Amino acid sequence: MKDRTRRTFAFYLMVSPWLIVFLLFGLYPMLYGLFLSFTNYYGFNIHHLKFTGFHNYHNVFTDTDAMHALGTTLVVTAFNVPLGVLLGLGLALLLNVKVRGVGVYRTIFYLPSIVPALSSVLMWKFMFSSNDGILNNILKLLHLPEVNWLGYDYATVSLVMMLLWGAGGGVLINLAGLKGIPRELYEAAEIDGASGLSRLTHITLPLMTPVIFFNVIMGIIGSLQIYLQPILLTGTELLARPIEPNYLYFVHAFQQIFAFQRFAYGMALLWILFLIILLLSIVVFVTSKYWVHYETDQEG
Amino acid sequence: MKTAIGDRKGNPVVYVVLVAFSAVFLFPMYLAIINSLSPLMSTAALLPNGFHFENYKLATTMIAFWSYARNSIVICSISLCTSTLVSGLVGYAFARIQAPGRGVLFMIVLSTMMLPGIVTQIPTYILFHKYGLLDTYWPWLFWGLGGNAFFIFLYRQFFSSIPKELEEAARIDGCSIFRTYWNIFLPISLPVVATVSIMTFQGSWGDFMTPFMFLKQDHYPLATALSMISYTANGTKLVIQSVATAAGILLMLPVLATFFLGQRYIVEGIVTTGVKG
Repeated sequence: MKDRTRRTFAFYLMVSPWLIVFLLFGLYPMLYGLFLSFTNYYGFNIHHLKFTGFHNYHNVFTDTDAMHALGTTLVVTAFNVPLGVLLGLGLALLLNVKVRGVGVYRTIFYLPSIVPALSSVLMWKFMFSSNDGILNNILKLLHLPEVNWLGYDYATVSLVMMLLWGAGGGVLINLAGLKGIPRELYEAAEIDGASGLSRLTHITLPLMTPVIFFNVIMGIIGSLQIYLQPILLTGTELLARPIEPNYLYFVHAFQQIFAFQRFAYGMALLWILFLIILLLSIVVFVTSKYWVHYETDQEG
Repeated sequence: MKTAIGDRKGNPVVYVVLVAFSAVFLFPMYLAIINSLSPLMSTAALLPNGFHFENYKLATTMIAFWSYARNSIVICSISLCTSTLVSGLVGYAFARIQAPGRGVLFMIVLSTMMLPGIVTQIPTYILFHKYGLLDTYWPWLFWGLGGNAFFIFLYRQFFSSIPKELEEAARIDGCSIFRTYWNIFLPISLPVVATVSIMTFQGSWGDFMTPFMFLKQDHYPLATALSMISYTANGTKLVIQSVATAAGILLMLPVLATFFLGQRYIVEGIVTTGVKG
């Protein structure tokens, strides 16, 4: 009994740094932000806040900018997540074939995902720039019409292209998943005379569904919160409004908070997005019953 | 051995696809590097044009580049010294010490990984504003002391896989729980320590949003400074793209260097701990 209390004490002592910081700088600000979203806080009235009920939340749905930005964000997510997940999986499948120099390719695919966001934007801006940019020079060489990559028509395409450049980061997790598939399954399939394609569709893909599921969830969470890349790629400075096609939902929240000091409204915007993320994750979770393969003797 | 597609010998098609994708992934970096090394104000080129360092010289002299770099180092050091160690300690407790409430607390750790950082950051900004902590490096110390949910998770996965006998032997020898952690568990977790350190460094080196919120210009790290201050030609608003690109490359170099130094650990760390838990 004495040993048990000693262990409990040690456990709580060891986790206390995390626990205290979580309570003070995680949970408390979160609840404080939730509280502020129900007030009229705009930066100077912290000592005489007025409780406004669901006013801010109501405003989000009547704010055409916010709704339009939400639509754009969902479109970007609808392209970015499936393409990113497929790219990560496809490249991992290629690397999982016993090729020479796997390490080199793996490094090359993974590299863009660790480049600081700012560096990649600076590099891509150089590629996209309309007068004398690299991509346009290439189009010129091929006698194709030049494109205004960061203009109204192509800005979203350019954004997704830049985001997909970093999608190779998913290769590592996918490779880990592929390594976890028992060899015996492939050997048995080989004895049964299964072709490469049927091994892929009957063994590899079903057994990879938990990893795909993880990537889809993380992809959705990440993609709905994109704001730095569009601001840096198509805005002139951090607080400037990027052009319409790249005016994503989080960009709008960022603008409301930092450019217009509408803190309370901004918090309402963020909490609504948080709920949307939660909702989408629940949808993916519920449908996962039908497409994610779980081994029966193991918990998820 | 046959795997999902193709044979051990390697299908030429596979190599063609791999090389093509490698070219696509390397292309932007290649172009940025050769063009940043071109003479000043030259037109964008596809092929190397010698080694000229004018762009780099301007990138480091047009703004207070090195003083921002020093701020970056201060912020990274604070995060490295705190977050790496605390995450290890917390991960160890979650992996090896039985206590009531452990499961619930671990669920909380996992769920904080899902929470958008900005949902807590903006109210934190308002609170720090109230208590006069803005424009200091204190917030980084606080956050660092709390560890990082993902790193706690990595450490826990690693420590969970270590056989129980090791601990029992230590206990028979009369080691306290802390001594066991410090003398036995921490030394064998060096690959994880390396992974976590590199990731911490990369994260805090590249983060420009948090400093933008919490600091003023003099205390900005390099990443924030580069996002706020553009390299404009004298008196105009025209950004000199090649100089900005050179600055972007300079910002990227330390991250790439640490990656190459520790890539073995990172790959191993992610591949062995996996995502299934």
